[in-house]
Amino acid sequence: MRIEITRSGGVGGMTRTWSLEVSRAEAEERWLPLAEAEAGPGKGMQDAGPPDPARDRFTYRITVGYTEVSVPESRLGEPWRELIERAREAGRARPAPGPGEGSGPTTAAGDGTPEELL
Amino acid sequence: MSHTLPRTPCSIVPPHLLMRLAARQDARFAVAADAARRALRELDPLRQAREESLRAPVRRPSAVVGTLTRRIHDAGGREVLPGALVRGEGGAATGDPSADEAYDGLGSTYRLFSEEYGRSSIDGAGMDLAATVHYGTAYDNAFWDGERMVFGDGDGEIFGRFTASLTVIGHELTHGVTQYSTNLEYQGQSGALNESLSDVFGVLVEQRALGQDAAAASWLVGAGLFTAAVQGVALRSLAAPGTAYDDDVLGRDPQPATMADYVETASDNGGVHINSGIPNHAFYLAATALGGRAWEGAGRIWYDAVLGGSIPTDCDFPTFAAATTAAAGARFGATGREAGAVADAWSAVGVLP
Repeated sequence: MRIEITRSGGVGGMTRTWSLEVSRAEAEERWLPLAEAEAGPGKGMQDAGPPDPARDRFTYRITVGYTEVSVPESRLGEPWRELIERAREAGRARPAPGPGEGSGPTTAAGDGTPEELL
Repeated sequence: MSHTLPRTPCSIVPPHLLMRLAARQDARFAVAADAARRALRELDPLRQAREESLRAPVRRPSAVVGTLTRRIHDAGGREVLPGALVRGEGGAATGDPSADEAYDGLGSTYRLFSEEYGRSSIDGAGMDLAATVHYGTAYDNAFWDGERMVFGDGDGEIFGRFTASLTVIGHELTHGVTQYSTNLEYQGQSGALNESLSDVFGVLVEQRALGQDAAAASWLVGAGLFTAAVQGVALRSLAAPGTAYDDDVLGRDPQPATMADYVETASDNGGVHINSGIPNHAFYLAATALGGRAWEGAGRIWYDAVLGGSIPTDCDFPTFAAATTAAAGARFGATGREAGAVADAWSAVGVLP
């Protein structure tokens, strides 16, 4: 299953995208429950409490299959960090994209055995 | 060219403005300087204190003599704040470029606001200036966390250390000034104005430190942060938004210069780092039309607007344009070339008050 991570914000305001393929079993055991919990009541952006005074921090949009969540950097827990690091590592392992591919490496990486592409 | 005093009761003019006016030796400002000197004599300390306490603290311009107190911490590559104190105010240089650049950059930023605009630190009340360097591992960012500036070392592939650019240090600290003044909401147009103020005063910190006038300045934010592998000169350009970089990995600088190219997007808090190109370019146009030292002309006008009380937290571009045009008129005369240059600049980027 394909997981795509888009990071926006930061002082540079540059959007970076990384992606990786994980097995359906891994996605269902680890990442989909995490994404659904993040998207659930009490965790969304609209329920953020007092405004965050932080400026220029990153926001991550993580898409696991058809489930998409937005996670501010300040709430990024260890499992997500591991996933992001794996996606970035997968990007580094691939050859650099050719000119014109503006948003960074987005092609699927051999990380785990893809059983099925969504 | 005509210069007139704002037709407001003396008690509303902040004391630091009166002091600056009173000190003017320029013959063109003789009437204003005399009036300011009279007003200062009438201001007794009790009345002054009462007025200050009645103003919202976040709007208060400083009448306090400022003291610069810097504290530089080192996170040691972890994402933990504040980290270990490595240099306090007056401490010897550490030999670590990040810590020493942060220390010097905080000083340059403090001096712009204090010496030019009479503001004592970011809160107008002498708050300590705190920064943390070496945050995280290969961390590609610098940010303001609500209390301190935080700087990463960069990943070495795209970015080097973020303290290497004085404009970025000034940018982060100005987020603090905004937090304690207009407190612009970090979303959509008010968020883009929040970002633009950080870029504007960030470049002014550098221009003043280098003694550059508007014509000589680069008008770049974050020059020198990219590694040699990146096709680009900086994060943003106030002179030519959209031209700072064009790179295989990073893509092209997405900033618009005018309202015709305004970007509607959900990411980046509604494009706060993108649409800031529009007010950024208006500032550049006003500053270069006026010429000379941008921190004394356009910079002073923008700062007056920030403290003027007419910028709501959800301010949009037209409201901000009206506030800066009014501020130019209040300081330099409604029919002066300053107010004309500011109005022309907003018109050129397609923002009509």
